Amino acid sequence: MTTPLTSKRLTFDDEAALLDSFLERGWTDGLPVVPPTEDRVRATLEAGGRSPSDILGTEPVRGRVVTAEKAAVNAVMAGCLPEYFPIVAAALEAMCEPRFNLHAVTVSTMGAAVLMVVNGPAAREVGLGSGVSVFGPGNRANATIGRAIRLVVMNVTGARPGELDKATMGHAGKYTWCMAECEETSPWEPLHVERGFDEGESAVTVFPGLSPIPVTSGDEDPGAILGGFEDAMFAAGTGQDELVVVLSPELLGHFRRAGWSKRMVQEALFEVGTRERDGGPVRSVSSPGAVRVLTAGGAAGGFAAVIPLWGAGSSSQSVTRRI
Amino acid sequence: MATATIEVLDPTAEAIPEHAVVSPRPNSLDGVTLGLLANGKQNSPELLDMVHDVLADSYEFAGVVARNKGDASRPCPDDILQELAERCDAVVTASGD
Repeated sequence: MTTPLTSKRLTFDDEAALLDSFLERGWTDGLPVVPPTEDRVRATLEAGGRSPSDILGTEPVRGRVVTAEKAAVNAVMAGCLPEYFPIVAAALEAMCEPRFNLHAVTVSTMGAAVLMVVNGPAAREVGLGSGVSVFGPGNRANATIGRAIRLVVMNVTGARPGELDKATMGHAGKYTWCMAECEETSPWEPLHVERGFDEGESAVTVFPGLSPIPVTSGDEDPGAILGGFEDAMFAAGTGQDELVVVLSPELLGHFRRAGWSKRMVQEALFEVGTRERDGGPVRSVSSPGAVRVLTAGGAAGGFAAVIPLWGAGSSSQSVTRRI
Repeated sequence: MATATIEVLDPTAEAIPEHAVVSPRPNSLDGVTLGLLANGKQNSPELLDMVHDVLADSYEFAGVVARNKGDASRPCPDDILQELAERCDAVVTASGD
């Protein structure tokens, strides 16, 4: 027997009327959506191996329950292919863990987005991009997986802009922000392996990401490259318990040739993020391990991004979940 | 010929649980014990003190219980909620920034 879908049915004369209605009700991010028909929602649930009533998580503050059915409806709307759903579902499970502090992250004036980092075979299977334009447009998986969790946050946990979401400015990552890492070309272990998974496993990590800050370097010497990170590391304050740093392949090449490990980068950045104030050191991050080093971006360009996190990485902690 | 329509599923979840009810409002603040619950933001206790002072010009309170939940981004700890529920007739809460 087919498990019934319990969502209310809405009927429209045509797709244009549907889009107008969804936009008017605040059910989209301002862009058109794919109509969430029952067939599409069922195909999405099936690809994820989920029953409609499965609970992916509960937003702890307001007690909003995220069911697989509602997640699938929003994933369809976002334009996800059914095979993306396991990633969407795992990300929502991660976001609902209390230590992520989903309510605060999604309603705060500080305007954080949810940065999703997907590691392992699942990223490659759906063609998630880690390369050129990694934070920009052009890849369906990146664009729609990130968008799906935003629509869930708006429609299921209720953080609509101007209602619960009081972001003073917000940033473009709130439309969508999903990436893979350059696992094939990086000499360093990927994020999910750092967090205890095997390379052959797949996992998604969610970070409460503020706007990325670009750092540019024409240097080849690792110390000189990292010296340019100081201002960006202090952009969101001091004593941060987590701070994401994304290094491009070109910069990564310089570290590889110099024989640098990821740990060496973390320790060097810890020192770079130190200033003297009132006769003592003030640190940008609380420890070398607080710097989360990721690798992504197009082959050309000595660029990096520093991504400070909402609540300085202490009021909200990143969470990794198996896909 | 039948008119073609499109049927889709509602993407939203119920906003308010069915069991949620609003407490009865007091008819007057005279003689009540007033709770003041600051949300932990800077200035929220000061804002509530001012609210209290304004109200105290018009009403005679039996007592005042001022508490601060400490962390604006997390729910109020149960012990504070329980104390306010037990001791107060009305509670004012505020976010200052």
